[in-house]
Amino acid sequence: MLRIDALSVNYGAVEALKNVSLDVPPGRVTAVIGANGAGKSTLMRTLAGLEKPLAGRVLFNDEDITGSKPEDIVRMGIALVPEGRSTIPDLTVEENLKLGGMWRTHAQRATSLTRVYALFPVLGERRHLGADTLSGGERQQLAIGRALMTGPQALLLDEPSLGLAPLIVTQILELVEHMARDSGLAVLLVEQNAATALRVAKTGIVLNLGEIVKSGPAREIAQDEELRHAYLGY
Amino acid sequence: MIDFIDYLLGGISSGAIIALMALALVLVWRSTRVVNFAQLGQAMFTTYIALTVRELTGSWFLGLIIAMAAGLVVGVIVHFLVIRPVKRLDTSGAIIATFGVLIALEALAAMVWGGDPEAFPPPINNSGYEAFGRIWPFSPYDLLVLASVVFLVLALSVVFTRTNVGLAMRASAFNPEVARLSGVRVNRMLALGWAIAGLVGAVAGVLVAPLSTLSPTSFDIFLVFAFTAAVIGGLDSLVGAVAFGIGTGLVIALVSGYSDSSNAPLVALVLLVLNLLFKPEGVFSHHKARAV
Amino acid sequence: MEALVQRFPGARLGVNAVTALVIWGLLTWVNQVIEPLMSYYLATAAMYATAMFGMTILLGLSGQVSLGNGALMAVGGYIFALTSMNWQTVPILGTPWNAVWSMVFAGFGGVVFGAAIGGIAARLRGPYLAGLTLGIAVGVPAIANRFPELLGGENGLMLQVPYPAGGYTSGDTSDEAVDDGGEVPLDEEPVYEELPDDFGDFDEEFTDEFGDELDSDPGDLSDEDLLTEDDLLSEDDFLSDDDFLTDEDFTTEDGFEAGIDEEIPEEDLLSEDDFLSDDDFLTDEDFTTEDGFEADIDSDAGADLDAGLDGGSEASEGADITDPAADLDLAGVDAGVDAGFAIEQWQASMAIAVACVVGFIALNLVRGRQGRVWQAVRDDPIAAAVSGISPAGSKISAFVVSSLFAALAGAVFAQILTYVGPGAFTLGLSLSLLVGIVLGGRNSFIGAIIGAVILVWLPEFVLDVSADRGWQNQITNNAPNFIYGLLVVLVVLAAPGGIVGGIQSLAGRLRGQAKSSSSP
Repeated sequence: MLRIDALSVNYGAVEALKNVSLDVPPGRVTAVIGANGAGKSTLMRTLAGLEKPLAGRVLFNDEDITGSKPEDIVRMGIALVPEGRSTIPDLTVEENLKLGGMWRTHAQRATSLTRVYALFPVLGERRHLGADTLSGGERQQLAIGRALMTGPQALLLDEPSLGLAPLIVTQILELVEHMARDSGLAVLLVEQNAATALRVAKTGIVLNLGEIVKSGPAREIAQDEELRHAYLGY
Repeated sequence: MIDFIDYLLGGISSGAIIALMALALVLVWRSTRVVNFAQLGQAMFTTYIALTVRELTGSWFLGLIIAMAAGLVVGVIVHFLVIRPVKRLDTSGAIIATFGVLIALEALAAMVWGGDPEAFPPPINNSGYEAFGRIWPFSPYDLLVLASVVFLVLALSVVFTRTNVGLAMRASAFNPEVARLSGVRVNRMLALGWAIAGLVGAVAGVLVAPLSTLSPTSFDIFLVFAFTAAVIGGLDSLVGAVAFGIGTGLVIALVSGYSDSSNAPLVALVLLVLNLLFKPEGVFSHHKARAV
Repeated sequence: MEALVQRFPGARLGVNAVTALVIWGLLTWVNQVIEPLMSYYLATAAMYATAMFGMTILLGLSGQVSLGNGALMAVGGYIFALTSMNWQTVPILGTPWNAVWSMVFAGFGGVVFGAAIGGIAARLRGPYLAGLTLGIAVGVPAIANRFPELLGGENGLMLQVPYPAGGYTSGDTSDEAVDDGGEVPLDEEPVYEELPDDFGDFDEEFTDEFGDELDSDPGDLSDEDLLTEDDLLSEDDFLSDDDFLTDEDFTTEDGFEAGIDEEIPEEDLLSEDDFLSDDDFLTDEDFTTEDGFEADIDSDAGADLDAGLDGGSEASEGADITDPAADLDLAGVDAGVDAGFAIEQWQASMAIAVACVVGFIALNLVRGRQGRVWQAVRDDPIAAAVSGISPAGSKISAFVVSSLFAALAGAVFAQILTYVGPGAFTLGLSLSLLVGIVLGGRNSFIGAIIGAVILVWLPEFVLDVSADRGWQNQITNNAPNFIYGLLVVLVVLAAPGGIVGGIQSLAGRLRGQAKSSSSP
């Protein structure tokens, strides 16, 4: 569904991504893991259109979307949940959600909203409160909910575990995994917390200094002691 | 005591207009993080357009409508031609550029309409109502001003809080990146912010002109008043702009009443300095104004 | 040069002193050989440059957008006027007062005000600072209205400018001036103070400052004391200008004043229209366009004057010189072209001297440690703070220095106008300084000088073009500001370094091309 073909991106003078190719198939979670500075966030930002690639292509449903604007990419069906629980604290919970997918029909949006409230009941309970009143985990749910409001076919999750308690991380990721399986959503998950990510992912990709050093079934990667010591540091 | 009431009554309509002007500054600040020092230059220009239309057609209302349209257009033009290209460079560049626009607009107005103050008579009776055996400093025109301002502020608050466009504009102001990732065309929303600010400024200009006279520089002083009100309100807050716009107008009316109207700029300056010294982030905002 | 400076720490001072002295010498020579009108432009340009050296430091080096410098010029101008009018001797020292003391006090006032504003400004960023200084630019001149007895209110203050060498003379100077003239050696500029100032120039100058809001009251023209009366006339202009301000405030209490409201503005407008149709500009235009006429006068008066000066003896030139002025009066022009000659040269030499002293101080500050401190704070306040520099202190010191320069420029301005008043130090003046520094180039003193020249030259250039094309007055008078505004926007967009920055980057590119083409 989402295919990345020989992508190279410079971040300032630094080569953040070097010739990265990977596939994100529908209906499952694909996890990209690696240490801090491996180029994970750059990969996500480039896919969402926030950074311009130096070389390579991004294909979505066989259509070349390389270099498109973020607001166009999200309309095509790729939604990014950026790092750091990117909600807008000045808006209410429901306003944060309604921000997603304004171009969609009224009926579509109403359906999505119902679904998001079903997935994350706490958001429904607090729909009229300011987003600044939510806890860290609830904000992460809100950020994912906003992305789901755009009716995506592919969901990009950038470090959802950052600063959250392990239990909450597991809950959220398992929910995402269910969602992928049930509705055929393609999920690309970027994580520093490799163990948790590989538990929900089908495929694992290890990124180091902007290059893919290993890819394969998540379970294999999780059990690869050498890999863990060399790149993942646990 | 009766003096006090008189001064307050006399200050209400100018306070309401200052509120509109502060609102225009806040709308622009929220959308692009630029204080548009040309805002009242634009308003002056559109007020001249209103005057011309009024002289040609005899209709004050038509003048107002055309001025509003012109304010919309001028706002968008300034945003696209000046602010968007400059904003990428630096903030001091953006500030200087808005002053450039102000200088150019004031000169252009003087070239087209001449530099002498022109009378802009009120469309309806501007002498005070009579009640309880005396004349109060509140006229039918003041009522019209107040009604227009209340209508405009209510309309804006409905747009901002109840519509998708308003939500998109607010999101674009608070966090453009998240807005873009949600599919909002942020640049259009910013331009729309400038456009609405231009419209609000145009209304303020047409309403204030009968209270003074119209000349290319006659709104300069209102720029100071509006900036003061907007900053005290927090520069980010529409509610703050309206509240402190009216507040600033009333304080100026009181001081002018008890002493002398030439004190007005000094009053604004003192308010501004006190605010910047003791509550630089403004009363209605949690953002930082301080440098370090 | 750099090596030399590094080996001898004092050499920097010497180099800067020589630079300032050479420029001073050059400009002084130029001032001797050019026409009086050009001397007047020179004086104005030097005054602008003095103020804009401060803008270079404040905006360029310290990165603070301030519109307060026009108000700080007012501080300097008013202090100069008040001290020179009211003090016969220096307090405490008891020595006789002179203009230099007034300048010193003006500068001191600038430092005090600059420290006060800077103390607030250092806590603020970009738009807040610009807005605050905008408020100051609009508010401070209004202080004159607060203290009408002391500061002259809307009318401002006339001041006796201590023209010739030999210190300030108070009271009636006309006799002394003539006497002095006899004793003044020829290389000093004798001044014929009682002669009318050039009316045409004066108008032009005011058109520069105030657009076409200028109108003068012909009724008062009949007075004898020409120089000061001319100035008084211009005061009247300010009056009507500012009446309008009070009107505006007045009408905010609108309903209260009920019916009066509708009568007053109408009356005002009517009378203003009358004045306009009287049109000083017309005389102006005639005056400047009829080249032949002007040339005749020039040669007449110039010849007389030169002859007198070359003769070197007669102090009573006054009589000879009033003759062409009288002729001119017959010809329908109010004053002689060359009659104010010496005054303009004196104005220029005074303004140049101040500009060079200020330039010297500025060079020493900027090329020394302080310059690096300002830049460090501008580029990265946090890094500067970490390395032990106080960002707030640096910003305040930039404000203090620029205020000192602005106040000195204001004192010069007061002497050129022989007047201080709220109408002379408007928001327009502050904006002009901003325009000048942005166009010239905010990062160098050369930029400030170029900016000053542009501020003086462009209106004259537009006047020439307009004379050729036959533009209407309201176009001619406002076209310069329109061009300034557009240029400021363009420069910010395309060449943030202004003219100097543009030339530098162009030169850099050419050099780069030359290098790449010459290398194999």
